[in-house]
Amino acid sequence: MNELLQRKPSLRAWLLLAPSILWLLIFFIIPLGIIVVYSFLERDVYGGVVWKWTLDNYRRVFDPLYFKTFLYSFWIALLTAFFSLLFGYPLAYYIATRPEKTRNALVLALMIPFWTNFLVRTYAWLTLLRTNTGLINVWLQQWGIIDKPLPLFGNTFAITLGLVYGWMPDMILPIYAALEQLDRSLLEAAEDLYASGWQVFRRVIWPLSLPGVIAGTMLVFIPSLGAFVTPAILGGGKRLMIGNVITNQFLGAHDWPFGSALSVLMMAVMLVATLIYFRTGGEEARRGGLG
Amino acid sequence: MTETSIPAVELRDVVKRFDDVVAVDHVSLSIAPGEFFALLGPSGSGKTTTLRMIGGFELPTEGEVLIEGEPQGYKPPYQRPVNTVFQNYALFPHMTVAQNIGFGLEMQGVPKDEIRRRVSEMLEMVRLSGYERRRPHQLSGGEQQRVALARALINRPKVLLLDEPLGALDLKLRKAMQLELKAIQEQVGITFIYVTHDQEEAITMADRIAVMNKGKVLQVGTPQEVYEQPRTFFVADFIGETNFLPVRVMNLGSPVEVMTEPGARLTAAWADPALRVGVEAVMAVRPERMFLYRPNEGPTGPGWNRVEGIVQQVIYKGLAIRYEVFLAGGNHLHVHMPVGRTDTTFVRGEHVVVVWPRDAARLFRRES
Repeated sequence: MNELLQRKPSLRAWLLLAPSILWLLIFFIIPLGIIVVYSFLERDVYGGVVWKWTLDNYRRVFDPLYFKTFLYSFWIALLTAFFSLLFGYPLAYYIATRPEKTRNALVLALMIPFWTNFLVRTYAWLTLLRTNTGLINVWLQQWGIIDKPLPLFGNTFAITLGLVYGWMPDMILPIYAALEQLDRSLLEAAEDLYASGWQVFRRVIWPLSLPGVIAGTMLVFIPSLGAFVTPAILGGGKRLMIGNVITNQFLGAHDWPFGSALSVLMMAVMLVATLIYFRTGGEEARRGGLG
Repeated sequence: MTETSIPAVELRDVVKRFDDVVAVDHVSLSIAPGEFFALLGPSGSGKTTTLRMIGGFELPTEGEVLIEGEPQGYKPPYQRPVNTVFQNYALFPHMTVAQNIGFGLEMQGVPKDEIRRRVSEMLEMVRLSGYERRRPHQLSGGEQQRVALARALINRPKVLLLDEPLGALDLKLRKAMQLELKAIQEQVGITFIYVTHDQEEAITMADRIAVMNKGKVLQVGTPQEVYEQPRTFFVADFIGETNFLPVRVMNLGSPVEVMTEPGARLTAAWADPALRVGVEAVMAVRPERMFLYRPNEGPTGPGWNRVEGIVQQVIYKGLAIRYEVFLAGGNHLHVHMPVGRTDTTFVRGEHVVVVWPRDAARLFRRES
């Protein structure tokens, strides 16, 4: 046996990979396959499936009602990625330029919210944002700053805020990693070569941190697109995202084939968006210097 | 170097402190236009900090930096008429060679056509024509070094600062680049200030050298001056190879007279002014200034020092034979005898006399 392994290094590699391949097969590939197959079947009245092939589920997906929800989710995910980048980049830059000890402490601080369940943290936002009993509106009214409660809840603002809050660390960390590796002498060289502060950023720091920006944007965009906890709580039942519709098909309406079709379509949208984004982002990173 | 012209760079009593650490300790220097000036010293001697203060990457805690007679004050690097070649080149990895070299001109708003023309001129000068579209990671160390040089020189700075620019290259390439750098400097006529810890490099390339240690400038002079007339123990020790013979000062007249431990009387051409009669000192002599003779042979008289010993080791080095000679009293001397100048060779265990002229001997305070 030993001798066989010595002679065939590829066999050894396969043996080492076997557990992870098996894991992915059972818990990832097969369920995915089930979803795809279900999406082409008909529902039965008790929430199961009837083995009869149909494209009806996909026809229903493009019903304006669902399609609008799709577009809305896409919009929310874009807003979330944009604001996470807008607020996350300066923070990542700040952390990356601190001395090593401070740096590690700040990265740890970034992680601390993860020690509490996401659901609990989202409910915490609820107590702050609620229209009539939310702490922000109550206080602002008590101090006489506003007369009527601000629309902080049950809208795009609340959902985006909740998602930015939840996913911003996923934006910060890859950018931080890219910036931390940045050679300080490159910045000095740019400064020596007459670049202003903005030009140093635009021509050196930004292009060299693009891999982190791309990774961070995808890490925020994808989970935001499929979010269902945040819109369920902070949307106040008024604004739904596609994640809520899918959840409802499986848990409420017992229409698994339709829920599967929505899931497959969402995965397809994510895949296409990811491919386009990486393609153009990679191009920009390569071109970088031209500006 | 004319005395009346305004120095290209002048440092007036410059001090740089980082928290409690004094990195540069009251340094004053005057560097002439067109000069190739080396800041030489071991790591931590303050040479790089001195360079960075000229470039504007650090600001002096005390004192003043002047470029062409103009005080630089708090000016940032991009407002100073200097450019820098960084230690690890600091080429922009996401830009091509042409974009790297043209960066400084682009930032100054020079028209694209002119940038293209001057970039190709620079590439020709550093013998990298045709490399425009390559990326830094596709270049060898020597090629990256030349791109870094071109990127700085294209801006036609008054002064070029170079921070150990050849440090990352292997020995053979370094030797070739030394000559190339020197040739380019003579061609463009720009003042070069060159930081290195390699004394051989400094001697090969520089018009003048400032030897630094522990934040202080110990001696400034031509390579010949610092090599032949070192003014401190450190300079004599750091540059080239030197024999240090412990002695006691007997007489500080002219010549200086000293006594070795076994009681031999020796004379030296120069003594550190801080030395007093009766104190311990070291006599420094370069190995190539010493000669070996059989006992009772060789020159004698007031201008010559003679010490007897036994040959301990003989190493043939091609150009010279290196002898290690043990003296009575436990000291030993290295003697380099050029091959071919004399028929006499010596063997291990042979009784010899080491002879050197008074001119070759300098007397220093002991340093640890």
